[in-house]
Amino acid sequence: MSAPSTDIAVIGWAQSQMVRHTDKSETQLLMSAITDAITPLGLQRADIDFTCLGSCDYITGQAFSFVSNLDAIGAWPPKRDSHVEMDGAWALYEAWLRLQEGDIEIAVVTGSGRSSTGDPALIYPMEMDPYFLAPLGADPLTFAALQARAVIASGIADERRMAEVAVRARGTGNVESLLAEEFIRQPLRRHDVPPITDGAAAMVLATGDRARQLVERPAYITGFDHRTECHNPSFRALDDSPSTRIAAEAAGLAAAPVEVAELQAAFTHEELLLRSVLGLGDDVTVNASGGALKENPIMASGLCRVGYAADHIFGGGNRALAHSTSGPCLQQNLVCILEGRS
Amino acid sequence: MTRFIESTITFPYKRSLGPVVGAFMTALTEKQILGIRSGDAVLVPPMEWDPSTGAELAHEFVEVGPAGTVESWTWVTTPSEQHPLDHPFAFALVRLDGATTPLLHAVDAGTPGGVSEGMRVAPRWRGTRAGRIDDIICFVPGEVPETEGEDTGGAAEPVTRMDYLASITYRNPVPEAADRATEASREHRLLGLRCPACGRVYAGGRGLCPVDAIELGPECEVDLPHKGTITNFAIVTPVQYPGQTETEPFVRAFVLLDDTDVIIPYSAVIELPADQIRVGQRVDAVWASPAEETEEGGGMGGSWGSLLGWIPNGEPDLDDPDLVNRIF
Repeated sequence: MSAPSTDIAVIGWAQSQMVRHTDKSETQLLMSAITDAITPLGLQRADIDFTCLGSCDYITGQAFSFVSNLDAIGAWPPKRDSHVEMDGAWALYEAWLRLQEGDIEIAVVTGSGRSSTGDPALIYPMEMDPYFLAPLGADPLTFAALQARAVIASGIADERRMAEVAVRARGTGNVESLLAEEFIRQPLRRHDVPPITDGAAAMVLATGDRARQLVERPAYITGFDHRTECHNPSFRALDDSPSTRIAAEAAGLAAAPVEVAELQAAFTHEELLLRSVLGLGDDVTVNASGGALKENPIMASGLCRVGYAADHIFGGGNRALAHSTSGPCLQQNLVCILEGRS
Repeated sequence: MTRFIESTITFPYKRSLGPVVGAFMTALTEKQILGIRSGDAVLVPPMEWDPSTGAELAHEFVEVGPAGTVESWTWVTTPSEQHPLDHPFAFALVRLDGATTPLLHAVDAGTPGGVSEGMRVAPRWRGTRAGRIDDIICFVPGEVPETEGEDTGGAAEPVTRMDYLASITYRNPVPEAADRATEASREHRLLGLRCPACGRVYAGGRGLCPVDAIELGPECEVDLPHKGTITNFAIVTPVQYPGQTETEPFVRAFVLLDDTDVIIPYSAVIELPADQIRVGQRVDAVWASPAEETEEGGGMGGSWGSLLGWIPNGEPDLDDPDLVNRIF
């Protein structure tokens, strides 16, 4: 969807500490992330007109866990609130739609998850197709490995370029020694897969003049779209991501060059595939943050991508792309274009 | 050090299969694998709708396989408890003969060197089949299907439902405020936390003020009275689901503590039969005696610790029409 008539901008964001295993509850993580996001803007919780939280009951192990997360937003007197059982990037999408109604000015969106609560290798298969995949324990590493093989076969990636992505993302290691490691799911090695991370992120959106009052250089959302594909990866061409391509076209990626792209690529080959599908050249800085290969807070990882892309605009940049994904083998993809104005 | 507790949640799902998946599962019990025709393509596993257009497909089934070709694979070095085999194996996309799309399944190939793109595989069937995808234990190299154990034949009736037991173990931190409330209950103290910003008081080990969104530490603790009024109640007729321990209707009452704004929700009552409970009834807290103490505390569980519930204290009822509105 292209830009609405009302200006809607990201004006700030914050994230909790990103750790392998937190001793804090999801509510506590959110409480600090929201406070850290709004305080530098001079805002209080009472100033927030709408909140949308992204989290996942299946990972928390608690029905309606998002209800206790509401404790973090100070929802009294009652607030307009919503929830998505998705990454916070989709909460952002909902807030962006909501702000277009024009009757409110400020929204806060969050993404939060504690992956360490359970074993992702055992939980994720239960979210797959219940008839043909879940009973086999078809896990995320398996799907990622099958997609990596397809992406390698198509020439978009090879094991060396995948290792280079890992070294760049994490800022450690060297390609030769990584390639000497054993496979954990052929053709994937340890460095090709994401860490398990606990964490939360919160982002503040504001409309038009209010955004310009609050910050010098808002990161205007000028294009935003998400698309999905068939749920069963065996029905898809795994060396392509048509939903990413369509979302990027609809968000207006082609209208002008982007300087940076933050891609939610949890696996090294996903970054190479997404770069290819989005047509990003070597002049585009991809995942300077380290991306999901460095820190992968489940349900917040995509929102963090938008946050880092917004940072580029806050720092004087002109145009940035943020991408988020959901489901096995890049099933569903979201593209958000952020722009600054002189 | 934060304390963690582990809990295992099981969801015993019973899934309806519908006309297409049901036909596929029924055929599996006969050691047949079905695809569905979609234009020129044969989709395996069969879908009710075309995955690219969403158009409903006619129920035109095509038998495929039983042998097929490995199109792609990965090697599982350390199988999980959910995987089809307990020793290293390949997960592979197998395109069965006659199919357009590949099926994900396990291939028992011994070593990573034993599997390759283009290799031919055939199913290893379970002797007794239930109409589930894992009636195929895995695929094995070659053209010839195998059956493990005695073959007890196909299903007598069409398979319409599938059981799936999801079981997940979670490890969660216990907030310090909850532990402090439980410890206080051992001394028969009902601990509250007063928010320094708004003055509201919270019980039950809730270590934060949801109105001001701030954490409440030990400096906010206050002792709450052990006397209150029933504001509302529910009589629960237990439905027998897995894990349900109650068998008879029971009362859960909401109690407003005297001189506070604190509601103790969903409380057990003692010596108060379901047909005698009233809004406005005055009650006292009942604590577990040392003999009744268990590791989990007395009656109400959670951070209420040794608080067993509430008993009528004989004082006259309060007559306040607004009481009934107080459940939070």
